[in-house]
Amino acid sequence: MVSVLNTIDTAHEDMVHDAQLDYYGTKLATCSSDRSIKVFDVRNGQQTLISDLTGHEGPVWQLAWAHPMFGSTLASCGYDRKVIIWKETNGTWAKLYEYSNHDSSVNSVAFAPHEFGLLLACGSSDGTISILSSTGDGTWDSKKINNAHSIGCNAVSWAPAVTPNALFDTGNRPPTVKRIVSGGCDNLVKIWREEDGQWIEEQKLEGHSDWVRDVAWAPSIGLPKSIIATCSQDCRVIIWTNDGTSNTWSSKVLQKFNDVVWHVSWSITGNILAVSGGDNKVSLWKESTEGQWVCISDVNKGQGQISEGQRTLQ
Amino acid sequence: MAVQWSTEQFFAEYKDLQASAMGVDCVGQWALLAGRKALALVNLNNTDNVIKVARKSKWEISCVQWNPHASHAPIFVTASNQRLDVYTWRDGTAEHKCNLKAHSRTVSDVDWSPFDVNIVASCSVDTFSYLWDIREPKKPIASFQTVAGAYQVKWNKVTNNQFATTHEGDLRIWDPRKGNMPLTYIAAHLSKIHGLDWSPSSQDHLVTASQDCSVRIWNWKNHQRSEGMISLKDVPVWRARYTPFGEGLVTGVVPQLRRGENSLYLWSLENHNQPVHAFMGHKDVVLDFQWRKQSPDEVDYQLVTWSRDQSLRIWRIDSALQKLCGHHVAVADNDTSTQQTSLLTSRLPEDLSKSNTSLIEEQMATSFNTNMGTQQLQSLINEFSLINSNIPNVTIEGMDAVYRKCLVKAVSGKRSVILNLTFPAGYPNGEAPVFQFSETSLDPSMEKKILKVLKDTSLKHVQRNMVCLEPCLRNLISSLDSLTLEERRTPDSEVPFDLTSTTAVQAKSFNSKRFRTSYGNFQDSNIPFPRTSGASFCSAGYLVVYGRPADLKKSSADVTPKALSDMVVYNQVHRMKAPQPQTPYVAMFSCSPPPATQMMEYPCTISNFYTYKEKRQRTRSRSKHIKDVPDIPRRESNNVKSTKSKPKVGFVRVYDASNLLPIHRQLAEKYILDVNDVSNMCSANANAASAVGRKDLVQLWSLAAAMYVKTNDSHSREMFLESPWALCSLGRPLLESLLDHYCKIQDIQTVAMLCCMFWTRETIAKPKRSISKTSMDYSPANTDVGINYMYLGSSADSGWNILPMVKGRRSNSWSDSYDDFRIFEEEIEQGVDQEQLQYEKDSKMLNPDKAGLYDQYKIAYANILYKWGLINQSALIMKFISFPVQPERNCDFLIKCSSCNQTTETPQCTNNHIALKCSICRTGVRGASNFCLACGHGGHTKHILDWFEKETECPTGCGCNCLSKNPMIFGW
Repeated sequence: MVSVLNTIDTAHEDMVHDAQLDYYGTKLATCSSDRSIKVFDVRNGQQTLISDLTGHEGPVWQLAWAHPMFGSTLASCGYDRKVIIWKETNGTWAKLYEYSNHDSSVNSVAFAPHEFGLLLACGSSDGTISILSSTGDGTWDSKKINNAHSIGCNAVSWAPAVTPNALFDTGNRPPTVKRIVSGGCDNLVKIWREEDGQWIEEQKLEGHSDWVRDVAWAPSIGLPKSIIATCSQDCRVIIWTNDGTSNTWSSKVLQKFNDVVWHVSWSITGNILAVSGGDNKVSLWKESTEGQWVCISDVNKGQGQISEGQRTLQ
Repeated sequence: MAVQWSTEQFFAEYKDLQASAMGVDCVGQWALLAGRKALALVNLNNTDNVIKVARKSKWEISCVQWNPHASHAPIFVTASNQRLDVYTWRDGTAEHKCNLKAHSRTVSDVDWSPFDVNIVASCSVDTFSYLWDIREPKKPIASFQTVAGAYQVKWNKVTNNQFATTHEGDLRIWDPRKGNMPLTYIAAHLSKIHGLDWSPSSQDHLVTASQDCSVRIWNWKNHQRSEGMISLKDVPVWRARYTPFGEGLVTGVVPQLRRGENSLYLWSLENHNQPVHAFMGHKDVVLDFQWRKQSPDEVDYQLVTWSRDQSLRIWRIDSALQKLCGHHVAVADNDTSTQQTSLLTSRLPEDLSKSNTSLIEEQMATSFNTNMGTQQLQSLINEFSLINSNIPNVTIEGMDAVYRKCLVKAVSGKRSVILNLTFPAGYPNGEAPVFQFSETSLDPSMEKKILKVLKDTSLKHVQRNMVCLEPCLRNLISSLDSLTLEERRTPDSEVPFDLTSTTAVQAKSFNSKRFRTSYGNFQDSNIPFPRTSGASFCSAGYLVVYGRPADLKKSSADVTPKALSDMVVYNQVHRMKAPQPQTPYVAMFSCSPPPATQMMEYPCTISNFYTYKEKRQRTRSRSKHIKDVPDIPRRESNNVKSTKSKPKVGFVRVYDASNLLPIHRQLAEKYILDVNDVSNMCSANANAASAVGRKDLVQLWSLAAAMYVKTNDSHSREMFLESPWALCSLGRPLLESLLDHYCKIQDIQTVAMLCCMFWTRETIAKPKRSISKTSMDYSPANTDVGINYMYLGSSADSGWNILPMVKGRRSNSWSDSYDDFRIFEEEIEQGVDQEQLQYEKDSKMLNPDKAGLYDQYKIAYANILYKWGLINQSALIMKFISFPVQPERNCDFLIKCSSCNQTTETPQCTNNHIALKCSICRTGVRGASNFCLACGHGGHTKHILDWFEKETECPTGCGCNCLSKNPMIFGW
């Protein structure tokens, strides 16, 4: 059911740490321990290297594409404590902004839903989360959540921009609340809410017994319900749900895996969760109508080993 | 710039030695590790070759030193308790030559004379320093007594007959020919001096490292104050030693303190603020470090370190690093100032024993021979080229050595100045540059103060024939900072968030960050081990998967490490097994790109954790050990080839995962949304659904068609007689349960289509707002955006003021804001038939109360369509939104009432004054009006137009040239 559309040889000299397609699925950005970021054109099965972005002084951990209304914009973060925002203008990629106000490795970057403007959250091993916002005239503001996670923040993810219990009148519809979920080395998952320009801790979710490695807020299809997936060094993936009316979050352990779980990612409709970890495997999970999470596939990423016959996987 | 750092090139652990001192011989072949139980000699060219010489003593060895003369290289001296022992290292045995006994307490330091192969100096806390001739070991040949105990003794490396000793915080320079009378006495530090070193190139310079957390550089001939100080914040300094190349220093911290800060720092003497490099990796404090060259003709130096973690490490100092210390920078220095010469010139590497005073003299001679004019030009060019352009908040806008000018911009808070410097021909020999502000935002008093500071600074320097540009700039910014400090402390109403001056923020963080910018320290201990594989859903329906090649396996235990720092441990363990000098852990992390060759040589980093599985032994049942062991010799034998031939980077694959989604792109393309011909639409959509195999949707569309027909019927005239169709069980309840179902399976496509189909436009026709008659609707300011009010007019007596409210938002054009002057119909008549309203509400298939939620569905689906590139379909869906997002506005206008000074959005303030007052006729304005955006004055359109037919300035006399400032408003 899942078929390979494209196989890209990135020609990175070292481990690849992230790969992201842009909004339309036409450009692929990859980042690596070799300190570079590569952008490929992957339309129609091709793989043309558009740009090789160098500027980080250490391995690059994560990438994030901005919404196309802000142009072709990419954010990257890495071991060198920097966050770099790259932008394409007239076909050439260049550094748009460099933020180096973190005291340790920056592990995660995520652009906010476009409704909020060009807004970037960065989680760092120095325990803080930075929120960078473009003022539109080329300068950037930054706000910091200090000591967000005491010994390091490993992941950040934005809540979708959904109006809370959508009201009926244009006039008094409350402004959409900005929320971030973050995970860190204190084994906690925290939800932050912006209030009067300040970020305050709204919720602390305890459930993992080791470092939280990734958090992912599920995309919304309009319902007030919120779903967050988190994964951890403790080899577990937890799905947290909130009904949108109360402050309580219920948790459900997806499964205990055999190795560290590094990454969780939601499909666009929020019905499938991709889980990947230290064992070099990917599994896809779906919630059944009874509310049970079932594994619907197990893609063994034996890269270069998948033969033509194995191109379709289920 | 951030500090570079590197980890060692070589690592070996000798746990059993318990060595407390280390020395490297002058040839660079042997390292002596001396402990209480044994002396161990490590062959640095083949570190497996460790020869131990047992030693029976209850005393630790406090220090060791090899003879610095190549002819007597195998001789070394050790100090233990009160005595010195001299050994000769020959043919694998250490032959004890003699012992030197005279001290009455522990010997604290020894040093071979660099000029006489037989002379050793020693010092002790017994207050004596002795010179020994090892041919006459019976008693010292000279003794020097002081009041305080001596801790360090070091010979001058350039001039004979000179050595220095330290006593607590003091420094004494001795000439052995002059007996027990020091040449100089310098009160160098406030606390104990731990380390002392003479410059290898300048006869008068030495460096001291002290408990007071600073390193000072001295010219002992001019010892009133130190020539430079490196402050290491709150870390006491154990050793500071000159580099054998360029002008650099290496510092290490005090062993007694366990602070987790075990790095050695490399400093360039040109920059005392920030180390240029850090050597990281030792798990405990470094006890000693020495320089070595593998062979005399090799360019790279090596730094050999021994730490209390009982590991010996060797760090490579390649030419790039040496360059950072000023080595190989071929700048001809013609500066007449000797002090500058000694600090700034770079020199060729020299044998330590060879004096280079002659070289300096040569340079001086040539500089005097050259033409005076070109020399001054040259000296200015030099100064410009050497200036550290990284002074915070100071940018050098331009420098021209020919015209002898320099343009500098300094920013502090919201104050900024542009300073012009002109260097007279006599500069820097007694003539100070001329300072002139060309553009400032300072008060005249501030300006005066700063100019005075600059003049003082420059005079101080040029009187001693020294260049002064950099000190002047540093003083410029520091005095600017201190002058504006008060200002910045008080909250500034105009700058709600002090981020407008990011430079100031940087300045604040600059100092505190100085030592944090070195990578790999304690802040970096919790960096998670990076992902090497992963899968992300991207865009609409793509799954991007990246990972390691299948044959690249985890090489250690079953569990992947948690933190990146765990891998360092792993690497070290494995390097022990492989004796060949191995890769420095993550050399690629260092700042400057290592030379390409080096990259090839060291294919290291995170991928080290993974090793290639041997093809032959695919059987998984084998234990980890068997898997690992054959791997190591292979890596040894052709390190480069094996990693080059096998990629350690897997492919990135893009999968089409759209089939997993409950939505279909094909349907999105085929679906029709035409509420005017519902039956046709439903049958077409049902066909489309059957084409993609969604049988449930085929049913759904035929059902929807049936439901829709009924809704139209329900609009009969007898509305009050029967309940509307929508309220019967096959109406709204059915539709809602359908929506619920498709929501649950996240089929946003179907949900959104149904919402659009059953949407009735009337819902929004009459906004239920209680607005007074025919009012202009200025939408309230968007509260989540910071708003800067700009009060443009202030003369209260001369008309009315318009307060444009500028929102800090990117967005559309001007015209948008005019569109928003919406005139609403009058309030729905009182006594509206509630029953009828209720009926209208009830007759809708979709509950109008949930319109907001249904909008969310439509927006979510429209976003997905947009991602698919189906922009027309996306726009079509967006047409069905009940509450369209209002176009963002850049600029709103508030009116300040001319009578009561209240701000209002309407022509009348809350006190029912007419807020606008014409500046010409001085009466209230009810009709059309014009106003000046700059001064806020204006009035009746007719009056204003008449006025500006002849005039260009504001009628109030405020001096505003309204016509030129608002050509669009008044010009036509």
